[in-house]
This record gives sequence, C-alpha cells and structure tokens, in this order.
Amino acid sequence: MEGANPVSKRWTLLLVALAMIVAACGDAGSGDTTAETTAETTGETTGETTATTEGGTTDSTEAMTDGVSLRWMTRPDNPEEAAVYGSISDGLNIEGVTLTYEPGDNEGSSYQDKLLTNLSAGTAPDVFWIPGTDVARFVQEGVILDLREYASATGHNDADFYPGPMGHLTTDPATGQPADKLWGLPRDVSTFAIYVNQDLVAEAGVDNPLDLAASGEWTWDKFKEVSEGIAALGGEIKGYGQSNWWGPNGAWINAAGGNFFSDDRSACALDSAEAAAGLSFLSELYAGGSAVPFGEDPEPGFRAGTVGMFQNGRWATPGIRTVEFNWDVVGLPEGPAGPGNWLFWGAYVVNANTEHPEQAWALVQALTSTEVQAQISELGANVPSRVSQDALDAFLGFTPPANNQAFLDGLSNNPTTEGPLWLGSWPEFDAVQGPAIGDVISGARAVEDFSANICNEAAAAFGG
Amino acid sequence: MTAPPLTAETRREVGSTPAWFTPLLVWRVLVAAGFAVLLTTRRGIAIEGANRVLVLAGVTLALFVAMLAGYQTYRRRHLGRLLGFTVDLLTASVTGFMALNRMSFFNGLDAVGERFNRNIIWLVVIVAGWLISGWSERGGLSRPRIQRIGRYIMAGGAAIMVLAMGLLGAIPGVLANIADLEVVPVLGVAIVAALFARIQIGESAARLFGTTQSQSEGFDGLLFIAPNALGFLAFFAGPLIFSLVISFTEWSGLQPAEFVGLANYRELLGDALFLRSLRNIVIFGLVAVPLTVAPALLLAALLNSKLPGIRVFRAIYFLPSIAGVVGVTLIWKQLFNATVGFLNYSILEVTEFFNGLFGTAVAAPQPLWISAPEVAMISVIILFVWQRIGFDTVLFLAGMQGIDRSLYEAADIDGAGAWTRFRHITVPMLRPTTFFVVATDIILALQTFNEPFILQAPSTPAGPGNSTLTPVIYLYQQAFQQFQIGYGSAVAWALFILIFGITIIYFRRQGEDGFLKA
Repeated sequence: MEGANPVSKRWTLLLVALAMIVAACGDAGSGDTTAETTAETTGETTGETTATTEGGTTDSTEAMTDGVSLRWMTRPDNPEEAAVYGSISDGLNIEGVTLTYEPGDNEGSSYQDKLLTNLSAGTAPDVFWIPGTDVARFVQEGVILDLREYASATGHNDADFYPGPMGHLTTDPATGQPADKLWGLPRDVSTFAIYVNQDLVAEAGVDNPLDLAASGEWTWDKFKEVSEGIAALGGEIKGYGQSNWWGPNGAWINAAGGNFFSDDRSACALDSAEAAAGLSFLSELYAGGSAVPFGEDPEPGFRAGTVGMFQNGRWATPGIRTVEFNWDVVGLPEGPAGPGNWLFWGAYVVNANTEHPEQAWALVQALTSTEVQAQISELGANVPSRVSQDALDAFLGFTPPANNQAFLDGLSNNPTTEGPLWLGSWPEFDAVQGPAIGDVISGARAVEDFSANICNEAAAAFGG
Repeated sequence: MTAPPLTAETRREVGSTPAWFTPLLVWRVLVAAGFAVLLTTRRGIAIEGANRVLVLAGVTLALFVAMLAGYQTYRRRHLGRLLGFTVDLLTASVTGFMALNRMSFFNGLDAVGERFNRNIIWLVVIVAGWLISGWSERGGLSRPRIQRIGRYIMAGGAAIMVLAMGLLGAIPGVLANIADLEVVPVLGVAIVAALFARIQIGESAARLFGTTQSQSEGFDGLLFIAPNALGFLAFFAGPLIFSLVISFTEWSGLQPAEFVGLANYRELLGDALFLRSLRNIVIFGLVAVPLTVAPALLLAALLNSKLPGIRVFRAIYFLPSIAGVVGVTLIWKQLFNATVGFLNYSILEVTEFFNGLFGTAVAAPQPLWISAPEVAMISVIILFVWQRIGFDTVLFLAGMQGIDRSLYEAADIDGAGAWTRFRHITVPMLRPTTFFVVATDIILALQTFNEPFILQAPSTPAGPGNSTLTPVIYLYQQAFQQFQIGYGSAVAWALFILIFGITIIYFRRQGEDGFLKA
C-alpha cells in the first residue's frame, strides 16, 4: 500500500508486536482468560486452612499473603464439566493466591500425553489430576510431593475420604504398604451400575431389575434371564452390553470372589478358580448371543434404545440423560461372592517442583471440599470422594437417574479399589491381561488354558 | 536489504574500516570464549546421560564454527561474514527464546491470545486506517489530509489495542522478570547477537568482507531460507536427533536418561508385540496401497473429461482427504458399529431385498467390524482407502492433464481404442505421478496411527487380539502410556529404517526403469 509511510508502518507493527510480547511476559500465570481470584479467605471451601490461620497455629499460612500464582489442571469428561471446573476456579477464595485453571483434554484425547510432556519440560502446573492407577509411577518418578507435612499442619484427616483411595495415596513406595505419606486427595470416585432401559424391560415382559434388586433377587441367574428375555424381542435388540476394558471384565471376576491381584497386590491372582468362574459366566453370556458382541461399543446401542442393560460408571450419566426412553440404574447383580464392584478414582496431586507447596496443598483441600464436590456432582458425572453426608445428599438430589443410590451401594459393597501396582507395573499387567481376558470372553481361548498360563504370562509385570 | 553486487576490483576497501568492526572482533572472541567456557566447565549444561553427550557435541561444533568465524572475520573474508551471521542468528534466536521462556512469555501467550480475540475490533480499526491512508493516493491524487487521518486512525487503533491487550498492567511484571539476574545476561546476549547479525546484512559489511556478486546472491538466498531453516532446526532436525540419542537410553521423561547403548534395539528384535505391529503394518500396506492407487487411477481417468458438472464430482471425491481424520474416523466408528451401525444395517436390508426378490433365505452377514480380530484391520483399510483415494485421484488427474494430447491423436489415427490408449499412453506417461503417489501412500500407510487408534479408543488402541496394533501405536503406548520414552524412540527409528529401506528399494526400481534418471 503506497499510501502509508513504510517506515511508520514498520514501526507500528513492531510496536504492536513488542506490546504483545510485553503483555505475555507480564501476564504469565495470571490468566484472566480462565479463572483468577485474589480474594480474602472467607468461604468454607478452604475451611481447614482458614481455621488454622485463625488459630494462628502455623507460620505457613502467613506466607500465603504474599500473593502467589498457582496453576492447576484436571481432566474433565466433557466440555460442560470443563466449564464447571473453570467456574469453580473462579469461585475459590484462597488468601493471596491467584488461580489459573488449565482445562486438560479428556480421556479420549491427550491429557496424559500433555501432562507427561509438561512434567518432562518442567512446565507442569502446580496442582494436577492423575488417574488412580498412575499414582505409584508418579511417586516413584519423584514428580509429586509428599503432602503429609502440610496436611499435619492444617489438621487434615485422611478418614474424611474413602479408605480405598486413601490407602494408595498414603502408600510408601519402598514397601508398597500404607504409611505416613500423603500423595494427594481424591477428586471424586465412581462405581459401576447397570443402566436399564425400562421401556425395553416392560416390552419384553421380564422381571424389572430394580424390583429384583429391591427384593434381594438380583443375582447372576436373574440377570441372565433378563438379558435373554430382552434379546428375545429379536431384530437388533440386545439384552446387555459392556465396554471392553479391564473394569467391566474385572467386575464379574470380583463378584465371583476373584481378583486381578493377590491381597497385597504383589502377584497375579487371575489363575484362581473364582476368577475362572467370573470369566466363564461372562463367556457363556456372550456365547448365548443376548449381549452386544464382545468388543463392540454398547453405548450407541443403549442410547439408540436397542440395548436393554448397559454396565458403566457414573461418568456415563450425562450422556444417558439425553435419551428419550425411560431409564434408571440398578446395582450389579450378585455373584457367588456378592455384587462385586470397582471403586474408581483419581487424585489431585502437587507438582514436586512447585514453588508454593503450602498454597498448593490449600488448593488441593479447596478442590476436594464438600462444596466443590457437590457442585461437580450436579453434572452427574461424579460421586463425591469425601465421606460427607452433605456431599452425598447433594449427589443423591441430582436426578435422573432416580436410583442414584445404586452407585453409593456400590461403594458400600466392598468394592475393589482401582489402583497402581506399587511392586509391579500396572501398564505391563494390563497389556497382558486385557487381550487374554478378551480371548476368553469371546471364546477364542479356553478358560482352563487361561487359568493355567495367565500368571506366567503376566509375571514380567511383577518383575518375574 | 543486502549490498549491491561488487566487482572484484572494489573488493576489500581497506582503509574504510567501519566503526563496528573492532567490536565485532571482540564479540567473536567473546562468543567463542563463551562456548569454550560452556564446554570446559560444563556450566549450564545441566543435562545428564546421553543427552549430555548430544549437548556437548553441539557445543563443540558451535565452538569450532565460532572460532572459524572469528578467524575468517579477522581476515575479512566473506566466509567470516557468512559463518558469523549464522552464528549470530542462531545465538540471537536461542538466547532470545531462552530469555522469553525465563520471562514466562510462553505461559502468558494463551491469555494474550484470548485478549487479542476479544479486542480484534481494534485490529479492524488499524486496517481501516491503513486502507484510508492508501486510498488517499489512489488515481495519482495526493490527499495529505486524508492520509494523515488514516495514519491517526491506525495509530489510535494500535494504541488502544495494546492498552486493551494489557500492556500497562503487564509492565510491572515484565520489569520484575527483567530484574531477574538470570534474564539480564541472556537477554543482553540475544540483543547484541541480533545487532551484529543485522550489521552483517548491511552494505558496509559486504564491502568490508569483499563479497562478490555471486557470493552476494548466495547470501541473499541464505537470508531468505533463514526463517524456515530456524524452524526446521528447532521443530524437526532438533527433535529428530534428540529422539535418535534418546533411543540409546532408558528414559522415562521424568528422570535423567541412562545410556544403554543398543539394548533397546536388541530388545526390539525379540519383542513379540513390536514384531506383531510390523507384521500388521506390512499387511496393511500391501493391501491398502494397491486398493488406493488402482481405483484412484481409474477414477482419475473417468474424471478426466469435459462433461458438464465434472468439477463437482472432482470436488466430492477430494472432500474426504481434506476432512479432519479424527472427525471422519469417529463417524466411521459409528458406521462400523455391529449392532446399530449403518454398514450392517445396509447389508441386512440388501440381503432381505434379494431374499424377497428371489425367494431365498440367505442370512445376512453381520461382521464385527471393529471387535473381531480377523475383521478389525479390514475396517482400518477401508477407512484409509476412503480417505486417501480422493487425493490420489487429484494427483493422477493433474498428471493426465499434463500428457501431450498429440499422443492420443496419433493413437486415434492408428485406430487405438480407449483401453489401448489408457494402457499404452496414459499409464506409461503417468509413471512419475504413479511413483510419487505410491511412495507417499506407502509412507503414510506404514505410519498409520489415527485411524486404528480412534476406531479402538480409548481402551484398546491395539485392537482385539492386537490385530490393529501398528508400530506408531506401539511407540505411543511405550512412550506415553508406559513412560518408556527411550524404548519408544527406538521403535520410531526402527520404523524409520523400515520406511526408508522400502522407499529406497522402490526408488531404485523406478530408477532402473529410466524415468527417474531422465
């Protein structure tokens, strides 16, 4: 453009570019784009920290008045949940702390990759979420902080949270046993339940699983009857579906009295008769043809109204809420050893390289407070991890499903806690057991052969 | 930008040494000394294991180049200017990025980006001022007042924009960052290096170093590729070399790497899953590439006509190749669903139609497209072919339109039919295009990751019974799920060797046929 003086244009552009660089350099960490707060500590969200400050028992909280910036990241299950975390970050009041929430990608994309890259590059947030199965690796790699010192100073009580996750979050990596450690606090928990298409159940004229559960008759045999009864409607209708990963498969093993690991999680236990019983039942169920073919994603079918029962965790609830038929949830059917279940969880942990560990701990506490957990529960994707009647009441109040209690029953039915192998490698174990169990369920491998060999095949995961 | 070409007679005008020459020599000495200090005291190279070897090798090379640049600068040779400029440009870039990183520039970018979006209206104002200013001289008429108004609008828009971007609020933070003792020297080095790099572009430098016309043209060329070369070094060559070094280590990404020599590669040879992934990908390539190339060639032949609306068809066939692979794969995942997917529904409907037509009772096959080990790879092949075929078609089409029409006319005179023309003219004349298409398809096929990963995501990316496990998925699992980045890098390099080997063999075979030599 010949009209404007090229020199002045160049300087204008240079000035704008410099201004942006200056703005970025001076802005790091404040992040007004997402969530920033620098208010007084007033809310109950940081009640424990506040109480300590008021009691004047620690010096640590005094340091928090200097004004520090903390970045935190978690893995939301969907954009709506990401927005809620953003608003929670907005609403948190931690004295002298400016918060920046960095929404992590969801499970289907690259949360884990991004976190690992950030940790490797030294740019990971001060506080971040990790899945329960990853705690051991992060501890062993020395990238997360032992918070016990800060917890002790602020009157934290481990018993405020479910013992299963806390067992792993207090484990000493040297012994693989709970000790005086604290690697973080659980963000939320979940258990499995069976999502039931009530319309299909009524159409098939089979016993309603919720009625059977209420009368204590919700057993494997009844479950199979219901599944076959619904599938008998014909066409593309199937009675039951579950996704192909260790959780749903393992739930049947648990209900038969088996487990993936020995009690101290130091050895494979898939060679037990109980594990074989669980897998045999599942294999027969699939062979009978009433279930969505093993390995196929049953959720589209359930949401399309062609699958009668669908096993999944609480995280599936927001998606299911969009269907137009009548549905509810029921607990898992009782096997030889009871209903069985998993307790899924993930934890907020503190970056070992954070410059503000005390404030980061305060943030972890705030993010796991009753109020925040109730706020997140409203979306329907999570069960509060805090053993608090207030939090549970808030969770139960958000319907559908009407029978939210089924998820809480799963928590009280002695579920197996999802967790890492402190004395082995969970990813290696998963890489072996996943395809092997899949082969058994799909009929490609005899359960006897599985029982005879699986623990040898998985020995490397335990250092064998 | 650079000096005008000089004749040999005007080279090296001794006696007109510019004032910056002595500081430049001092700077050269300082730069070389800096690298020497880094190398000998190892201060600043706080990297352990094999990475350290890489960094030390890089610093040694930099020291050598800096010394050579200094000597050649002292001798006032063009090579000194060339090497000196390169060293200064790299020094300014690296130290500039280091300073920006230390000043948390990259952490603040997201926030600035968002504010930029919010205040984009002021950018529109700046552009409007620019247009007004330019319009003022349209048609050979000069309207100074309008030009001034345009400039004021530009300046005002820029000022408001930088203020709205948070400039004033950020200044204290910047000052605090600059006050950081670690930032000042790094930023200082960046600025000085950038100044000397700029000086060496100038006319006085060209005169001082006796740059000839051909040398000047070469230097101009280097200047043009410099930005891209920097990007190449930073984002491609650097990581490439880094991954090679890492492949000789055991590294989780979180702790210092431990040098293990060839252990990762030895382990690969006996790794059943890696070998399975190689077998899978070779089968995939052998099936998918011909199924992509042959139909694409035929399709291009059909589309290479002047029928009305043919461009619409070309666009339709090209569409899948520009669609995002993730979105497309998610759609195909729904189509492949064995119970509610459209493919099985279609098979069912078609079978019932023919059963009704012929009075038969043939059972409709309902393949488990994603969950059956024997079918899962076929699904990936279908998806790959569907997505790739349009792009290949366009390449063939371009090749066909470059064929000399007189060949077809001669064939017509000789009585050749359509098939004969296609067989004996089109196909041979398309050999360079075919070579390119096949080579790129082979490379893409061997690198397949997205399609199987998303089809099977999130829990079983390797597919049922590892049937869709590819080397790239395997390296992803090793590096990012099992934190074995060293081993994952070894998988990457093994795959690279495989792809490179196949490409070389293919290249040579084509070369033997003659057209590449030609």
